[in-house]
Amino acid sequence: MCEWCEKYGDGYERWYFNPANYARRLYKIRKEEAEALGAEADPQAAGGMAFVGHDFLEARERGDVATVEQIKQQVEGISWITHFGQVLTLEEALKIVDIMYPIGLMTCACRRSMQGLPDEENFTCMGMGTGMYKWERWPDTYRGGVHFLTPDESKEVLAKLNKRGLVHTVFTFGTPYLAGLCNCDYPDCSAIRTVVDLGIRVLWKGHYVAKIDPELCNGCASCVHRCQFRALSFSPSKNKAIIDQFQCFGCGLCATECDQDAITLVERANLPALANVW
Amino acid sequence: MLPTVTVDDQKCADPLSCRKCLLICPTHVLGLGTDVPIKKFRETDPEHFIVRGVRVDKCTGCLDCVKVCPQNAIQVSFSGGGAR
Ligand code: SF4
Ligand code: SF4
Ligand code: SF4
Ligand code: SF4
Repeated sequence: MCEWCEKYGDGYERWYFNPANYARRLYKIRKEEAEALGAEADPQAAGGMAFVGHDFLEARERGDVATVEQIKQQVEGISWITHFGQVLTLEEALKIVDIMYPIGLMTCACRRSMQGLPDEENFTCMGMGTGMYKWERWPDTYRGGVHFLTPDESKEVLAKLNKRGLVHTVFTFGTPYLAGLCNCDYPDCSAIRTVVDLGIRVLWKGHYVAKIDPELCNGCASCVHRCQFRALSFSPSKNKAIIDQFQCFGCGLCATECDQDAITLVERANLPALANVW
Repeated sequence: MLPTVTVDDQKCADPLSCRKCLLICPTHVLGLGTDVPIKKFRETDPEHFIVRGVRVDKCTGCLDCVKVCPQNAIQVSFSGGGAR
């Protein structure tokens, strides 16, 4: 079972459907914890949006497995307390905007960091909850301002970003306080890049695993570019798309693109070998 | 071998508007950070943005970033391992 559902689900199907994890009282806890942890707890102050520093890359380069493992555990430990994410399907993201209020569309700090993307092209992040009312106190976090959205507007934006090929994710700011509904891609999203390139789990896989029905797949390949996790490829000899289910993050972007309905999402929990692959 | 990517912050005064190196690097090695922590009630000024080699493990040494930089602010060196 998903560790976070177990700890913070409180009877709800998923921990991110539990309204308590968006509650105002947690916003206070988050502040105290973040202060206790110092600058490390502030993903923006870390600079360059990097979850790991050069010491990790150097240890990896010289093949120092022990140091690599030690830094990895340390980074994951801090991230899971302060700021980490989990992949959602579009349906799950749509459900969250019905639980949560207010929702503000804001600029993405990762894309600013990786591309210097101008604010007007960069409204892909959704901030949720109490913190959003105070956005004017932190003009640098909210560069470009905030557009508050109704639930219906939020759904329209999510559908549009899904069409564009972005992965929906939910992020904690002082776990389990959920305050970020992000729309991510490789390599600009610091979390996707950190987990895909470096194997450090600052982003958890979602609750689903995609599966292709070879009878229905006609080999059009239009799903292949949708995968941001290197799980989906095309087999010329089969003339069909194929999915590495151990690598699949369950975002469902491939499925929403397939007009043959050849791709379905199955519950991770129902696959014994994948039930604990997060 | 990991390269050293050095950026002269004096020469690179406003990377947020220039961003040429960020866009040209084929392996997305470079990233923007700030040299001051974020403050309440104020936006970080452009001159506090800095370019750094964030993912130097991905650097191929192509020097495209060095060539594209109008300020001649970037240096990339693969020292320590001889000719490569
Ligand atoms: S989009 Fe659907 S039909 Fe086309 S290759 Fe992918 S799975 Fe097959
Ligand atoms: S295979 Fe499909 S569901 Fe799995 S990570 Fe790739 S795009 Fe997402
Ligand atoms: S030398 Fe090439 S690969 Fe290395 S940082 Fe510059 S542009 Fe990127
Ligand atoms: S190209 Fe040169 S001046 Fe422009 S952002 Fe990069 S380092 Fe700075």
